[in-house]
Amino acid sequence: MDLATLIEAVVKVHVVLGFVLLGVPLIVWMERKVLGHMQDRIGPQRVGPYGLLQTIADGIKLFMKEDILPTQADKVVYFLAPGISVVTALAAMTVIPFGDSISLFGREIPLRITDVNIALLFLLGATSMGVYGIVLGGWASNSKYPLLGGLRSSAQMISYELAQGISLIGVIMITGSLSLNEIGRAQEKLWFIVPQFFAFVIYVVCSVAETNRAPFDLAEAETELVAGFHTEFSSMKFALYFLAEYANMMVVSGVAITCFLGAWHGPILPGPLWFFIKLTCFLFFYIWLRATFPRLRYDQLMAFGWKVLLPASLVNLAATAVFLTVKG
Amino acid sequence: MFESLLFAMLAGIAIGCALGVVFHRNPVHCALLLVGVLLSVAGIFILLHAQFVAALQVIVYAGAIMVLFLFVVMLLNIKGETPLLTPGAAKAFGFLFALIVFVELIWTAVEPAPEGQGMPQALPLPSDFGSPAALGRVLYTVWLYPFEITSILLLVAVIGAVVLAKRKFF
Repeated sequence: MDLATLIEAVVKVHVVLGFVLLGVPLIVWMERKVLGHMQDRIGPQRVGPYGLLQTIADGIKLFMKEDILPTQADKVVYFLAPGISVVTALAAMTVIPFGDSISLFGREIPLRITDVNIALLFLLGATSMGVYGIVLGGWASNSKYPLLGGLRSSAQMISYELAQGISLIGVIMITGSLSLNEIGRAQEKLWFIVPQFFAFVIYVVCSVAETNRAPFDLAEAETELVAGFHTEFSSMKFALYFLAEYANMMVVSGVAITCFLGAWHGPILPGPLWFFIKLTCFLFFYIWLRATFPRLRYDQLMAFGWKVLLPASLVNLAATAVFLTVKG
Repeated sequence: MFESLLFAMLAGIAIGCALGVVFHRNPVHCALLLVGVLLSVAGIFILLHAQFVAALQVIVYAGAIMVLFLFVVMLLNIKGETPLLTPGAAKAFGFLFALIVFVELIWTAVEPAPEGQGMPQALPLPSDFGSPAALGRVLYTVWLYPFEITSILLLVAVIGAVVLAKRKFF
């Protein structure tokens, strides 16, 4: 590994990390603003222009708050759990391509941190490890509500992971590759949302459940569980959970864009810009969902995952396989 | 050099975590240490150029099965009160079987292989070794029957689990 490669890698890691860490406050601001307007309110507007600096102020406040450790908590696991959530979310970001490669200083620089040939599996692996952050956070607090929240989310995430993974197999079969870069390149002519529309719908529903967002936010259902798994967490530990949730939203949106919505392809504007436009639209859709749908009941959630989404994704998989075989 | 250093590190973590699984009293900590073992074994798979197997190891074992383990441990709320060593006959049998496996392993490692049956010469790896495509090709040609039989076995297990869970309807 020569020096230039090393510098390139370090710069890319910092750019992506900075993008996530700056992006999260912006998404939170967008969420509060959009939710506000959808509920006929104004939303934050005091700190900075249009309330833009509100989340920064909230972040500083969280930094300054006392870090409370519940007396009965399992200290090591309590300390570890929020970290696991953030690390898995950030690890998943490393394989998402923001665009094709660009030439800079006479070097060909691909616009992603790394392109392993099993990128999609790496991503699924990272998200499946993300469950631990929530489950362990709920358990380590040693308190009733967080434990129930943690248990709920572990069952929920395992159930929806299956349908999510299977819905992506259709795309893998069409491109014949697990590399997100290859999948992105294959969509120059036709976005995969067209041949794989049902897979796209299943993927989006599952990814909302995977990130524990409304209407699937059973893990932190306020009306019954106070705040679910993060009830006992305060200060920066809470902020880390918050960060992980929004980083995970970026990851699943990035995968949806790369696998179904034409990755970085689009007319006129350069690739990365298209990626960010699509990302913003997708995140807006997320917020829109939250403002629209009431939370599901727990048994409805499990029944929906196992009896509707999983069979539907299997049917889609079989149909894609038959079609590809007949077409040759 | 770099590879053997990485291997030593991963193997060390795996062994350390495995010892922790056995000796730790808190069942949740044991489960977590087992996740550590699985992850470091996945790292060793990557060192062997078997990325696909490594990914499956993380997704299936560390990501799904161990979460279910944790789920059950948390649901039953097992406290770390069970004694570290079971008394009497169980202890003696456990020791005996561990000793037999240990001797067997040492035996196979030390005993020289018979003429013509030794370790085959190391061949250069094909360029797509360990990739999903190569693995899939072998799985669906050479090992097709074992693969299909395994899938039937798993189906039987699934149906069995459903029947056991829904026994009150029969």
